[in-house]
Formats: sequence, C-alpha cells, structure tokens
Amino acid sequence: MAKKKNNKAVGSNSIIVRSMSWVEDRKKVDKFFWGMLAVGVVLTLLDLFYTKKVYFQAENFFGFYSLYGFVLCAALVLAVKAMRVILMRSEAYYAAQDVASEDHPEFDLDRKQADV
Amino acid sequence: MEPITALLATMVLPLLAFVLCLLTPNRHNIRDGGTFIIAVLLFGCVLNVLYHFNNETPVAYEAVTFQAGLSIAFSVEPLGMVFALVASSLWIATHVYGIGYMRGNKEQKHARFFACFAFAIFATMGIAFSANLLTLFLFYELLTISTYPLVAHKENDAAKKGARTYLGILMGTSIAFLLTAVVWTYAIAGNLDFKLGGLFEPTLSPMFTAVLLAFFAFGIGKAALMPFHRWLPAAMVAPTPVSALLHAVAVVKAGVFSMLKVGVYVFGIDNLSSTGASDWLMWLAAFSILAASFVAMAQDNLKRRLAYSTVGQLSYITLGVALATSMGVIGGGLHIVTHAFGKITLFMCAGAIYVATHKTNISEMRGLGRAMPFTFIAFGIGSLSIIGLPPFAGSWSKWMLLVAAADTQQIIIIGVLLLSSILNVAYLVPIFARGFFSPASGTGSKALNANVPWREKIAEAPLLVVVPPCITALGCIVLFFYADVIVEFIAPIATVPSVETTNG
Amino acid sequence: MFEWLHPALIYLAAALLVPLVPNRKARAFLILLVPIVGIIPLLTTPFGDYLQLSLFGETLTTFRFDKLSFVFSLVFSLAAFLSLIYAWHVRDTMQQVAALLYSGSAMGAVLAGDLITLFVWWEGTAIASVFLIWARRTEGSYQTGMRYLIIQITSGVVLLAGAAIHYRETGSLAFEAFSLENVGAWFILLSFGIKCAFPLLHNWLQDSYPSATVTGTVILSAFTTKIAIYSLARGYAGTDFLIVIGATMALFPIFFAVIENDLRRVLAYSMNSQLGFMVVGIGVGTDLAINGTVAHAFSSVLYKALLFMSVGAVLFRTGTAKGSELGGLYKTMPLTMVFCVIGAASISAFPLFSGFVSKSMILSAAAQEGHFVTWAILLFASAAVLHHSGIKIPYFAFYGRDSGKRPAEAPRNMLLAMGLTAFLCIAIGVWPNALYSVLPFDVSYNPYSTTHVITQIQLLFFSAIAFAALIRMGLFPRQVRSVILDTDWIYRKLLPAIISFVVLFVSAVWSEIVRGFNNTITAVQNTLANFYGPEGRVARVQPTGYMVLWLAILLGAALIVNLVGLP
Repeated sequence: MAKKKNNKAVGSNSIIVRSMSWVEDRKKVDKFFWGMLAVGVVLTLLDLFYTKKVYFQAENFFGFYSLYGFVLCAALVLAVKAMRVILMRSEAYYAAQDVASEDHPEFDLDRKQADV
Repeated sequence: MEPITALLATMVLPLLAFVLCLLTPNRHNIRDGGTFIIAVLLFGCVLNVLYHFNNETPVAYEAVTFQAGLSIAFSVEPLGMVFALVASSLWIATHVYGIGYMRGNKEQKHARFFACFAFAIFATMGIAFSANLLTLFLFYELLTISTYPLVAHKENDAAKKGARTYLGILMGTSIAFLLTAVVWTYAIAGNLDFKLGGLFEPTLSPMFTAVLLAFFAFGIGKAALMPFHRWLPAAMVAPTPVSALLHAVAVVKAGVFSMLKVGVYVFGIDNLSSTGASDWLMWLAAFSILAASFVAMAQDNLKRRLAYSTVGQLSYITLGVALATSMGVIGGGLHIVTHAFGKITLFMCAGAIYVATHKTNISEMRGLGRAMPFTFIAFGIGSLSIIGLPPFAGSWSKWMLLVAAADTQQIIIIGVLLLSSILNVAYLVPIFARGFFSPASGTGSKALNANVPWREKIAEAPLLVVVPPCITALGCIVLFFYADVIVEFIAPIATVPSVETTNG
Repeated sequence: MFEWLHPALIYLAAALLVPLVPNRKARAFLILLVPIVGIIPLLTTPFGDYLQLSLFGETLTTFRFDKLSFVFSLVFSLAAFLSLIYAWHVRDTMQQVAALLYSGSAMGAVLAGDLITLFVWWEGTAIASVFLIWARRTEGSYQTGMRYLIIQITSGVVLLAGAAIHYRETGSLAFEAFSLENVGAWFILLSFGIKCAFPLLHNWLQDSYPSATVTGTVILSAFTTKIAIYSLARGYAGTDFLIVIGATMALFPIFFAVIENDLRRVLAYSMNSQLGFMVVGIGVGTDLAINGTVAHAFSSVLYKALLFMSVGAVLFRTGTAKGSELGGLYKTMPLTMVFCVIGAASISAFPLFSGFVSKSMILSAAAQEGHFVTWAILLFASAAVLHHSGIKIPYFAFYGRDSGKRPAEAPRNMLLAMGLTAFLCIAIGVWPNALYSVLPFDVSYNPYSTTHVITQIQLLFFSAIAFAALIRMGLFPRQVRSVILDTDWIYRKLLPAIISFVVLFVSAVWSEIVRGFNNTITAVQNTLANFYGPEGRVARVQPTGYMVLWLAILLGAALIVNLVGLP
C-alpha cells in the first residue's frame, strides 16, 4: 500500500523528471550548449532592431551587455580559482568540532529514500 | 502607624529576629517561621515609611546627641528609601531560600546563622536611614562585624582564611581611611549631617577635594573598588544565601550606597563636577569595570566568577558618582536596584545548583540545564539583566550611565561601558547556554536519554531553593517596566534646590 | 480600529502561550494563526503614531505607522507566515517560541518611532534569534551562536550608546533622518552597519546562517538584515558614502560565494551581495532609489526565503547541504528543484520574476544620478549572480555529478511553503504594480521597457554561457569540502589568541599585585609583632582581633574627647 502511494507520487512528478532526462545524455547536453550559443548570438543581433535608451555612452557599444556578461563572469571564475589557493583550508581548520566539519544532527532531519 | 514609629520599627524588627534566633537554637520551625513573619513585617514597615515619605518634610529622628553636629540620627531620603526597600524585600526571598538551603544542604548551627543574618539586616537598615556620616560609619562597622561569623560559618580552614581577609580589608580600610575622612570632614565643615548639595564651602580647593574623596572612596571598602576588592571573592566561602543577600545586595550595596551618599550629600555633585575632583575616580572605576570583567572570564568557580562580576558592576555605580552629573547619580541609584535583583538571582541559582548536584565549577555544569530548567532559565534572565539587555531591568541603568557619559562627553567611558557589556555576555551567557545546549559532562546522564519523558529528566533542588530565584528573576522583568517610577522617586537628589547653591 | 493592538505584542503573547499548549497539532496551528492575526492591525490602522509611552520624561512612540514601516511589517508578516508553514513539522517548542519572539521583535523594530524602542526590539531580535542557532545543539553551533550573539549585542549596545549621545546632542530621541555632523549619528550608523553586514562587519552572517537548524535558517534569513536596511533607509537616505559601501558590499561576497561549498553559506554570501544593492539605493537617496531599495528588500525576503527553503529541504532529506556531496537530486526531488529554480530566476532578475522589477529600479536610480562606476559594479554583480546562486545552487544540488543520493521529495508542508513563496515571486514579477503601489514614494516606473528586457536577457544569457563553457572546459572550480577564510579569521584565530594573552597577563599581574599587597600586610604584621615582642600583652591578640580592639579604642577616644570638650 505504502509502495503504491509512493509510486503515485513519483508518477505525478515524472513529467518534470522525464522532461529533464536529456541532461543525462552527453550528446544532448552538447546540443543544448550550442543551441544556447546560437540563441545568444540572435539576442545580441537584436540590438540592431531597436533604439536603446541608455544612461551611459558605454551602453551604446554594440553587444555591450553580452560582452560584459561573458567576459567579466569568465574573469570572475578564473580570479576565484586563484583566490582559492590562498584562502582554502580544511574543514576542521578553526576547530575540531565546528559547524563546517560536524554532521548535521539527525533529530533535525528526516532522511527518506525515494523508491526508484 | 506614625512615620517615626515605622522608621524605628525597621530597626527594632530585625533586632527582634536576632533575639528570637538566639533564644530558639533547636526549635527550627518556630525560629524560621518567626523570622519569616518578622521579615514580612519589616517589609511592611518600610512600605509604611515610603507611604509617609515626602521630600518637603522628611521624617527624622535623633537618637543620641553628643554635641552640636555630632549625633546618632536617622532620616528618610530617596536613596535610603530605595536601598531599604530593596534590602527588606529581598530579605524575605533570601530567608525562604536560606531555610531551604540550610536544610537541604544539612548545614550546622542554624540559629547562629539566622541570628547574624538578622543582625546584618538591622545594620543595613541603620545605614539606609542614617542621617549623618557618624551614624553611617557606626552601622557600616556593625555590618562588617555581624557578617564575619557568616563568612566563617563552615569553620574550616578555608572559611577562616576567607573570613580573615574579609574582616581585615573591610575593617582596615574603614578605620584607616573612612574614619580619617569622617574626622577630617568634621574638622572642616563643623558637622556631619548629610545635606543636599554638600557640606563644604565651594571655595574648597580641587586638590584637597580630590584627596578627601580618595579617603572616602578607598575607605568605603564595601564598594569593592580596586585594589580593595579582594574581600569579595574571599567572602565566597560563605554559604550561598549569605553570598546572595549580603554579598550581592546588603553589604556591597551598603558600600556603593555610602559612595552615592558621600557624593551627593557630603561633596555635592555640582562641586565635584565643577572642581573635576572626581576625574581620577572615574578612570579608576572604569579600570575596575574592565579588569574585573577580564578576571571574571578566567574564573571557573561559579561563585568566584559572580563575585568578580559584582566587583565590576559595583564600579558602575561608583562611576555614576564620579561622572558627577545628575544622570550619573540617578543611574547609579537605579543600578543599585537593578543589579541587586539580577545578582541575587544568579547567586541563588548557583546555590540551587550546589544543593542539587554539589557542583561548583562552571565546566562541570554542561547540559545541567535540561535537568534543572527553572534554575537555568532564572539564571539566564538574571544574566541578561546584568548585561543590560531588554526586557530586563539592567538595561535602564546602563542607558542612564551612557547618557551621563554623553553629558560629560567622555567617549572613552562610553567605550568602556560598551566593552563591559560585551565582556559580560562572554562570561555570563555561556553558563546557561552550555547548560541547555551542550551534551552533559557526566556520563550516563538521564537527561541525555531521549526516551525519558521530560518530567522525569528534571532533578531540581528543593522548592524552597528554586522558587525564590524564579521570583527575583520575575522581579528583573517587572522592574524593566517600572524603572520610571524608581527614577522619578530618586530624581530629587540630583537637583539641588537653587536656594542652597546661592547660599554658598 | 485596532490601533491599540501592537502587532509585535500578538507575537509575544503567542510566544508565551505556545509552551502551555500540550497538543502538538494545536500548538502548530496556534503558531500559524499568529501572522494572520498579526496582519489585522496592519491592514486596518490608518497611518499615524500610536501607543505612546512616557519614560524618564521623554515620550516614546512604540507604534509609528507610515508607508515605510508598513511595507516592511507587511513583508515580515508574509515571511513569518511562510516560514512557519515550512516549520510546521518542528516539534521543538523552544524553536517555535524563538521563532515567534524573533519575528515579533523584528515587527516591533520596524514600527518603532524612537531610538529607545528601536533598541529594545533590536536586542530582542538578537537574543531570540540566537536560540535558532543553538537549537542545533552541537558544539559547533554553540560556538557559532556565541559569536553571533556577541556581534549582535555589540550592534545593540552601540545603538544604545549612539542614542545616548544623539539624545544629548539634539535633545531628541526620535528615530528620523540623522545628520552625520553629530557624533551620535556615527555610532548609530555603525550599529546599523553591523546588522546590515557592511564589508568587514559582515562575517556574522555567513558564520551563523549555515549553522542554524533546517527551519531556523529560513526564519533567520528574513528579518535581521532587513531591519537594518529599513533603519538605514529611514535614518541615512542620501548619505553619499553609502554608495561606495554598498557597491563594495555588492561586489566582494560574489568571489566567496563562487568558491564556497556549503550551499547555505553560498546563499548567505549572495544575500550579502543583494544587501549591497539596497545600500547603494539608500546612498543614492532619490525617490526612485529608495523605492527600489524597499521593493528589492521586499522581493529579496521572498526569493531568499525560497532559496533557503529549497536548500533546507535538500538538507532535511539528505543530511547535508554541501555542494561537494550533492548532485542529481532532480530525479527524486523534482518539485523542490522547480521551486529552487524559480527562486534562482528571481534572484537573477530574469524578466517575469520578482528580482527583475525591483533590482532594476536601483540600477536605474544609480545611473540617473550618473554613478558610472557604481552602476558598472552593480551590473557585474547582476551578471555574476548566476555563478554563485542562479545556476550554481540548482546545478550542484540537482544536476551536476550524480551523487547517487535518491532522497524522497520534501514533505508536504515544505512543498506548500515553497509553492506559495514561488507563486509570490512570480506574481510580483508579472504584476509589479501591486508591489509598486505600496512603496513609500509615488514614482511611475516601468521595468518592462524593450531596452531593459533585451539588455537584461543578453547579460544573463552570456553569463550563463560563460558558466556552461567553463563547466565544459573543466575550469569552473570543483566543489570541495573546505572552509574559506574570511574576516572571521580575525576573531576566530587572531583575537582569541590576543584575548587569552590579555586574560593571562591581567591575571598574572593581578596575582602579583595581590601577593605584593599581602606580603606588605604580612610585613607590617611582623614588624608590629616584633615591636611588641613575644611577651607583650598585645602580641597575644590575633591580628583580626586587634583590628576590632583598635576600633573600640578609637571610638572610645573620640567619645572621651567629645565628653571632655563639653562645656
């Protein structure tokens, strides 16, 4: 009986799960990535078809927002990789019993396995 | 009742209790019950005095007159009224607690204990209602002497050693400095009667005022101003009811009360602020506040930690006097009340823990809160009040002292008060937080077992020991809402009538 | 009609009542009723000052009701209601009481009309909230709680000191706009700054929020920092240097959020960055900017709660919220994943989600006043939000490397709470005018202009492409179990060392002084003993004894002198 109920619960959600199953497929993920890139290019080209209302001169630069988003974010990630070398420590760095290193107490949890 | 009768009754009643205790060494119930009735009556009498109180025609009574300006006399003024109210109301709570503690802990010599206790209350009433320095001095010494047997109560070597330090410092400072200061004051002013605005001519040199103030400040050893504070931790060998009422309320408050009296009625706060004679005292008090807090952090013995906390908190009141502003004095007066309720709660809880578990060290009290929830909640409320957090009484006296410091533009003093609050958090909060939220330090504790229903986990001390701290903790909350009444009541001492000032 | 009923008192009364209710269901129901009842006085009372008290000769206004306090008390009611649904399953009465006291205090703080009342509630939030951290009952959470409490109480006492100085400088206790020519105003600003997690004062936030219980973190996330935003908006609107502080605040937490492993701490960092946006708005201080700040505070309470709820649900089912331990959960927690993505879209300010209609007001206001650098920083922060919350949280929790964990879907009460919050996030994004109508100033603002929609999508899309490309190339930092040093190093490593040294030093010096003192006394005693000699009468008396004797002699002498002196 309990099992049936669980199955039903999963069943009702399975549309979401099934619609997401492409992430398991390496090729589909590849396709998705190139698709994203294509949409991005189209979005950038949209700049040609309307008049931007801007506050600053910089914004008028073609594809400003696209470039700004891409370049700075890529730079951010590379910067933090360097930062991590200096600032990263083991979880017990501050104290042997620290929030970072200890387990979350079980009384506050309700671990349950889904039937799949 | 006539006001004067009531005033005298406040001193006769504790003496009656004293005699009663001496007469009934073995009839415990008669003695304890009788003393309880007397304690309630005393509180009634003090309320009666309060009922008849007004600032225009103060009640006064002269007992013995030696010569002009030298007498043993009593009168009622706001500060003394407040002090008497605090001491007499808390005596009831402490007496009940004392019965529970002495019996629960199987202490010896109850009669001597309660007799000395009553006598100490008698001396406290005398101090509260003293009308001049001589009376104050006499009752001050009586208080010291009457509490000596209480400190030495256990009669072992540690108790005797502690009591010797106690008597040595309190007696030594009072005779060496306070008596000198009193005689000196008499020599200059020609009388010793407390007078709003001060006894001295305003022409007194600042240097001299500062020196005389030093004699008073160090002479009043009960105010535990560093470096004469050692007697207070030493006195912690006494049974906890003594620590609770006497070393958190009556004795130490007699000290800071005298300090306030000297500041307001002997020097006059206007004199102090215009001459700047109390500047050094302000810095010493500030040092005392911080140093005591740091020392308190290092103590593992609960009562010693509380004792050092008291040293720091008493210096708040001394600081209030030394700031020499009306807000400072009122804040100091208010702090006498708020700290009394907070600290007595903490001591009673310490005693309750001792009765229930015989533990004295903070490190052994982890997880104990789950077994003694009422005691630890009361302890938490007392702590937060001492720190000065709303909704507990202590926040208002801290506010007034901060305003006083702002009045004198002492940013550093403001910083000291802030830092002190934070240090208070650091040494008081862990005690009850660890009590509730850390696993118990003892193994096989019932409290840890999740299957035991909570009612069975509770292992509190006897009711007589647990209820009084809960009541005083409630007092901390109630006082938060009624602080205004107290402040309005003591405010007249901070405003010198204009006629008086133009006279000089 | 209900102006005599202070909303905070409803919460406090319920907090007193709750422990007395023995039945668990009845208790949970009573708690849920509180925000509903609490909103009644807010909806029925006309703006004005109510419940004035007199204290020490000053008038205190405990219920100051105007547009600004209305918005905040409204969103606090909402947040309390949603997080209490989320916490429906909690059996721990202590947590329930703490949650009620905490949300009630927060309500009281935004309705306070003077500095004393503000202080009372300010400390109230500090004391009540720490119990949500201690409720975890581990050594680590105890220590974190102590640090949190000390910092929060410091903020409170600094506020009190500032109020005292301000009171003496201006003679007023009213909580209105402050002038920084007064010393008191600087103290008050510092106090607000601590609670608002200004740069270098911020680390309590990242330290404490991951340390609370599952439900505690959700409740914590709504109130403390938003009270600070409210207070800054009330007291320091238009203070120029707040723009610099805000921009710094929006920028630096991003770096930490990208590498942090604990997802709840990641969210704490990203919250800090969002607070930076609001502080910039306060610094700009125009009507549009303040509106933007308030609107952003409103929507960020909701989407932040939603994100903390979804990560909390993951923690609740798997026992961990660490990115390195999670992945692939979409298979068994699909609804939680959907709600998480809605929260992520809101914080990233995708069009049709709440962040879009509020964040852009602040950017526009900053741009209108010509703050180019600030605007550029905020734009960067808006793009980077994908890398630390927008994509990172859903990716590492629900996709990414499959952790093999197959937890069950979140319990129904959590799903309901998340669903309602998600609905509100979308509703605000779709019908922004409802939110705009409750803002303190009347400004017509249209977030859905062609330029704005297209540029925002471009920005976010290319930020996402950067993320995807870096992941593909294996350049995105892998999540590893670790701690990242922040300013907490100063008070967790450096200060303890200094303090223990000071304590040691003071105790050592002190015991030396005392020893010296005792030695002196002993020396004096010995001298006296020698002076009187072993056969002297006085020598037989104990030292304490002759103290008393001395007293008697001195008093007697004084008496004789007086008697002789009588005419």
